[in-house]
Amino acid sequence: MTDSSNLQSHSLTRIDAGGKVTGATQYPGDLTPDNLLHGKVLFSGQPHARMLSIDLSAAEAVPGVVMILTAKDVPVNEYGLIMPDQPVLVGLGSQNRYADVSLWEADQVAVVIAETEAAAAKARGLIQISWEQLPIVTDVFEAMKDELVLHPWHGSNILKHYQIRKGDMAAGWAEADVIVEGDYRLPYQEHAYLQPEAGLGYIDAAGRVTVEVAGQWAHEDLVQVAHALGLPENQVRVIYPAIGGAFGGREDLSLQIVLGLAAMRLKEMGIERPVRIIWTREESILGHHKRHPAYVKTKWGATKDGKLTAITAELILDSGSYACTSTKVLGNANLMVTGPYEVPHAHVDSYAVTTNNVPGGAFRGFGGPQGAFAAESQMNKLAEALGMDPVELRLKNVLRDGSLLTTQTPLPPGISLAEVIERCAQEFNWDKGWPPALAGDDHQSQERSQFTGIQSLPPDTKSLRRGRGFACSFKNVGFSFGFPERCEATIELFGDTEIERVVLYHAGADVGQGAHTVFKQMAAAALGVDVEMVELDMSDTATSGDSGSASASRLTWMAGNSIRGAAEKALEAWQDEDRPAVGHIRYSPPPTEPYDPVTGACMPNFSYGYVAQAADVTVDIETGHIRIERITCANDVGKAINPISIQGQIEGAVVQAYGYSILEQLQLKEGRILNPYFSQYLIPGIKDVPRQVDSVIVEEADPLGPWGARGMAEMPFLPVAPAITAALHDATGIWFDEIPLTPYRVVSKLREHGIGID
Amino acid sequence: MKDNQSISVTVNGKAYQRAVEPRLLLSDFLRHELGLTGTHVGCEHGVCGACTVLFDGQPVRSCLLFAVQANGHEVLTVESLAEDQDALHPLQQAFWEKHGLQCGFCTPGILMTLLPFLESNPNPTDAEIRLALSGNLCRCTGYQHIVEAVKLAAQNA
Repeated sequence: MTDSSNLQSHSLTRIDAGGKVTGATQYPGDLTPDNLLHGKVLFSGQPHARMLSIDLSAAEAVPGVVMILTAKDVPVNEYGLIMPDQPVLVGLGSQNRYADVSLWEADQVAVVIAETEAAAAKARGLIQISWEQLPIVTDVFEAMKDELVLHPWHGSNILKHYQIRKGDMAAGWAEADVIVEGDYRLPYQEHAYLQPEAGLGYIDAAGRVTVEVAGQWAHEDLVQVAHALGLPENQVRVIYPAIGGAFGGREDLSLQIVLGLAAMRLKEMGIERPVRIIWTREESILGHHKRHPAYVKTKWGATKDGKLTAITAELILDSGSYACTSTKVLGNANLMVTGPYEVPHAHVDSYAVTTNNVPGGAFRGFGGPQGAFAAESQMNKLAEALGMDPVELRLKNVLRDGSLLTTQTPLPPGISLAEVIERCAQEFNWDKGWPPALAGDDHQSQERSQFTGIQSLPPDTKSLRRGRGFACSFKNVGFSFGFPERCEATIELFGDTEIERVVLYHAGADVGQGAHTVFKQMAAAALGVDVEMVELDMSDTATSGDSGSASASRLTWMAGNSIRGAAEKALEAWQDEDRPAVGHIRYSPPPTEPYDPVTGACMPNFSYGYVAQAADVTVDIETGHIRIERITCANDVGKAINPISIQGQIEGAVVQAYGYSILEQLQLKEGRILNPYFSQYLIPGIKDVPRQVDSVIVEEADPLGPWGARGMAEMPFLPVAPAITAALHDATGIWFDEIPLTPYRVVSKLREHGIGID
Repeated sequence: MKDNQSISVTVNGKAYQRAVEPRLLLSDFLRHELGLTGTHVGCEHGVCGACTVLFDGQPVRSCLLFAVQANGHEVLTVESLAEDQDALHPLQQAFWEKHGLQCGFCTPGILMTLLPFLESNPNPTDAEIRLALSGNLCRCTGYQHIVEAVKLAAQNA
């Protein structure tokens, strides 16, 4: 239904802001019920080692220690979002025959429960473990040789290989007048949500093992907790209190199972007391997955008038020690590495590879940023090789209604990328007025000391060079490649002749993006009542059906369709004079398909969002410091239900991608993270970020979206890095095929090409 | 706990007498001893600014102070800004109206950093606002709407 008539765009202020500005909002670590016990988790610290023995005696003797859980206490000692390849607790005596081997430094091995946090920490330090060291594999290219297979049951370190075979490559290269190549390297990225993992485990009044934690998909957490605890699903409950950011980093489990396990085992001991665990920042950075590092070799051909003829690409993701969502991330990267363009001949091989490094997993963009960096860099190099404007070149090749993807299927109707590109170029003044004057009080200064933060630099500005760059992207909305997609909603209407009260039950997670505010707006519009009338009962598996995750830019789209459906049913029941009138729906979008194993042919997705960006960048060629003057981001959101929230998502995504492009550098050595602190892993502060982010909201309706809306939260992340490297090329004449663009990397590369100040 | 030290500290206008372990952090004291969980802990080593409180009127990171250092001093946390959500401080109101927060975890520290800043500089420029907040990390917003919120707060003060 594209009918948008009964929903007015409205920047309704966040319904949760009152609690957040007063400090009343409870995040998981703030939950402090009476009679609380405290837990600490011991990590193995071993990137690859076999446990020979574990001795708890000294730890158990610490006053205040109530219980120490190890592998033998886990009923079904395995879990994982897409495959159960990870032990809940690495160690001895469980039914999982592989659970004695630690493959990751942050494999959990024991949980100490004590009267105080200090006692738990002290006891944790007294657990004695003897390890047999095993050889470690940290290089993906070494791992792919399979000389040492890390998961014996899998048979290979190549966790997944996808391929695309479209057209006739020989013909494609024969038609090409120009060919450009690239060898791209993309780094890890840490989510760095401000709220470290924390949670509460207890037995609720109905006797259920209950976990209150910050996650992204309550019902999937429940399924995994129930599986590991060997409990029926109706004996487990998951509740999300306020969530302090997620960005994909909470899609895999952290504390969910061990909190549930602790509550269950305590009850068996006759102790019905809640247990709370709060991770430190160090534990958070060590203990959850990252954005995958990627290696992309690719070659693109085009005719002299700028039509793409052929693309080959080989893409490798370091998926680390456990699968997490790596195969799904790989599927996206495999699709996006050829860009949002129509190409007649394509040959792509993509691999997710197991190593002893930190696992790769979901992070805003989900394989898209890695693919987009290669694809958009290639497009910008083609523009240079052809002497063509990069905007014009994109418009010649971009996907349009009826275009076939590399999967040999068309995208769903409503492809708006050409319009988005044109809007971005227009708002940025791409065709005229370059370079624009720098405006605003903090834009004026071109003083180098202020620019770099290095006060001792000479004040002259002849080392400053300015350039502009362009990039665009597409990204799926919702689960892909045949993964079952669904979203449930329930609405109750109370009153007599008039509706007096509305309650919406939904499990969709508000991770900070403002989902619950938008749910309320959509419910009000679907029912034709005031927003204030809608009460929410959110993110509790005891009251809501399965919503699917807060990921894949899917929640407004999927929840909106479920809320519309539930509202229609509730209104029908109201007409039938049911009191209360109840409507429940399990909404399913059109089905998608997995890749054909040989050709990759499939219908990968049911909806997409489209985005284009232009970047205005200054670089100091002497120091390598980069400042982003402005990023203009045009994003097709289909229908802007809450425009100010959309601006917030665009600005936040651009800044996170700025960090990915320039600042953030996770350091690993022999499978161990060296900088698990905010003092050493730098995320963008307010003085680092682009001086100005222009959000250009385009509204080309998605025919299947609720009120025409599209998903949008990930899309603005994707073009940032390639737009910045294009601008850097414009400023210096040098292509940077590897990020982050740290001053050291920039200076080294410029000097290699003889660029600098005498 | 014979090593505990006795302290007297005024928090949000209320006097507290407590015996505390000498290494107890002020942030943990506020959160766990007094139940003032609006002060958030994001990094435990003074980088993120989420735990910022006012110490005799000056913004400090409560994760970098021991509770015993607050003996005889006055501490204000985010809970001091408003009695309830219907009577917000103009700064809180501006963050709500201008979408100056998303997940909200960094927000209390940002508000407490801004409170004395806006008192001493009621009409700040963008550059001054950005300098004032250069010690507070936010991973959600990209900061632009935070700056807008501060400008609105200055206008409405």
